[in-house]
Amino acid sequence: MQRLFRAPLRLEKRLMIALLLALFPLSSVLLVACGTISSSSASSPKITLTVLESQGWVYPAENDLARKFEAQTGIHIDYQIIPAANYFQVLDTKLNSGQGPDIFGGQSGVSDLEVQYNVTQNAVDLSNQEWVKREDPAALGQATLNGKVYGQEIWDIYSGYWVIVYNKNIFQQVGITGVPATYNDFVADCARIKAAGINPIYEPISDGWHHVLWYPEIGARMEQLEPGLYDKLNANQANLAGDPASNTAMTQINELYQKGYFGPTALSDQFANTEKEMASGKYAMTINGLTEPEAIQAADSSVQASSFGYFPIPILDNQLLPTHPAAPTKFVYAKGSHIAQAEQYLNFLAEPTNLQYMVDHTTQFETVDFTGIKAKWTPEQQAFLKQYQAATTLVLQDGVKYVNPQWIQIGKDMSAMFTRQETPHQVLMNTDGRRTQEAQAAHDSAWQG
Amino acid sequence: MNRSTEVAHNTSVLPGRDLTLPGSSRRAGHHYRLRNNYPTWFAGGALLLYGVFVLLPSLLGLAFSFTDWSAYSTEIHWVGLANFATILQPNSEYVSAIEHTLIFTVATIILKTVIALALAVLLTSGVRRLAYLYRALIYLPALLPMVAVGIVFKSILDPDVGLLNSTLRLLGFGVLAQQWLTNVSLALWSVIGVDTWKGVGYIMVILIAGLLAIPREYYEAAKIDGASGWQSFRYITLPLLRPVLAVTTVLNLLYALRVFDIVYVLTNGGPGYATDTVYTAIFNAFSLGQWGVATALSTVFLIVMLVLGFVVLRVFRRSEVAYP
Repeated sequence: MQRLFRAPLRLEKRLMIALLLALFPLSSVLLVACGTISSSSASSPKITLTVLESQGWVYPAENDLARKFEAQTGIHIDYQIIPAANYFQVLDTKLNSGQGPDIFGGQSGVSDLEVQYNVTQNAVDLSNQEWVKREDPAALGQATLNGKVYGQEIWDIYSGYWVIVYNKNIFQQVGITGVPATYNDFVADCARIKAAGINPIYEPISDGWHHVLWYPEIGARMEQLEPGLYDKLNANQANLAGDPASNTAMTQINELYQKGYFGPTALSDQFANTEKEMASGKYAMTINGLTEPEAIQAADSSVQASSFGYFPIPILDNQLLPTHPAAPTKFVYAKGSHIAQAEQYLNFLAEPTNLQYMVDHTTQFETVDFTGIKAKWTPEQQAFLKQYQAATTLVLQDGVKYVNPQWIQIGKDMSAMFTRQETPHQVLMNTDGRRTQEAQAAHDSAWQG
Repeated sequence: MNRSTEVAHNTSVLPGRDLTLPGSSRRAGHHYRLRNNYPTWFAGGALLLYGVFVLLPSLLGLAFSFTDWSAYSTEIHWVGLANFATILQPNSEYVSAIEHTLIFTVATIILKTVIALALAVLLTSGVRRLAYLYRALIYLPALLPMVAVGIVFKSILDPDVGLLNSTLRLLGFGVLAQQWLTNVSLALWSVIGVDTWKGVGYIMVILIAGLLAIPREYYEAAKIDGASGWQSFRYITLPLLRPVLAVTTVLNLLYALRVFDIVYVLTNGGPGYATDTVYTAIFNAFSLGQWGVATALSTVFLIVMLVLGFVVLRVFRRSEVAYP
């Protein structure tokens, strides 16, 4: 036994090397831990409001305003930013266990208010706040349930919807002369870009939500192809899996992935890297808002915002601009211990000078959904808005109940579709299944009996 | 003072005269019962806490698993086995979560045990110099928070800029570079690998304690009889280490069946549902407000855990060997 394990000295050396290599992750962890410890040692003021938000919903200008608010009132604002893929799980778990933050962020939308956030139980009625009179009625409608306003939405809903942002230089370089008007044109353009050694589309799937946009953002086109679809879906007289346009749309989205047009690392790509990747010239297109070209220029000053253009998402040959008044919204937690201070903070954010500060200092905003704001439209944006017709029908997640609350689950199903665990039809069937569960749990009369 | 002398001291022994004060006999009996039953009192406190914080919630959970309890309504209705039917229907995400959990459990038990046993033997019999340093270094990952480990490995396993693929490309093995966390065939095994890296040191320490408890005389006798190293390991080490292996297996089993944090941080159950485990599925159902389904899934898995735990203990107990 002893002889068996009497190893030469070289074994020890080799073991030491192997250990040092294996311990590399450990040292990184220790460094992370040290950083965490040192950053948490700051002293805290008397009152601290916790604000829970998803990644991408809070821009630096809002952090500036939070500091200004603290200087004025002594109330500290503690933003807790959760990765988008996990946000709704964390939020709903907190709300469902009665341990919500003072203010919580959420995507507005009537069915979300009812199903996802259960606002009648979890949120404070803000109907009597002064800023309500100045907010765009379309946006306000998405944060209203049973005639009561529950949320404050400060967002650019006029340019903050989702379109395809493309690199004009790459299009020119591969010989594409105009933007695609049909799905077939779009696929042909993607093939040409890919053949030139450039990834056609930057699609960050790992965040869990962005790749879902391809489907519900063209909801108005589905309604256009089958008038009355939204009403039937809301009355439980139709379902998505039974709708031919929905099946075609999901099949087309899957085709884009399977043909490799989302790039080789789409499943691990992150939304936060969009500007960097688009500026690098490795990708020709991405889905984003009208302010994305300026964000790309801000990320890399060698790239000009004017070298990017826009066109509507061409799934199902769509040519309509999405109408999407629902957006990230703040709710005051009804079971919180600082309700008055939370309302005070929302009032502060909605002061006209502070709203203007947000517009002026946020690349992603050209304006916000309040009256009295000076917008900053670029000539390219104005030309684009003149070229395309805005849909009169809302996007699917705003117009059809029980879609937005399961956004991340749809994202999981679509990821499963991309990795061949599910078919496009199964994705729609699962979406219908969750709509039914949510409607029945909410005792929706259309789903009873 | 033992119990009999105490009783004698407090009781009259003279006939016809009762020297004890009125009531002292009763007090003596009372003291006797108190002292005799004090272990029960200690156990009672623990049992009370266990009952309130473990047993009662478990029973309530069992009851709620037969209802439509959800975040969307204050009304709760009895739905019989409907939640269980939802969970156990073929091709449901819950069934695949149970499958992934079982794969994770079997794989991590085997990997951790085999690697930890090899390291334990090496560091007790093979490596002499700096053996304590190696033990400490191998054990260190067990002390780290799982979330921090997950975050670091997520960056290491990034297919584009991660340390692992970058190193492979640098060394000319670019063909081995993989999408470790997003390839459906690899993702679960990557999670298993990270979990094994973190947990192997803990199991190794327990096994080292077991190895050091085996009397050296057995090995010396075997050596005199001409046994090879492998024969000594096969016929001395393994049989006498079985009780310790039973403990590590049960510990691994209970941990692996409840795995959540490392999966949540590394893949969040993805891509799609490829790495969802029972506890991420319970978390998803709970966060969706489907509390009835979540409790039903917990109930199903409680039964699975009890059965597996029972089977493992029976297997090890049957083959247990004692020192002569």
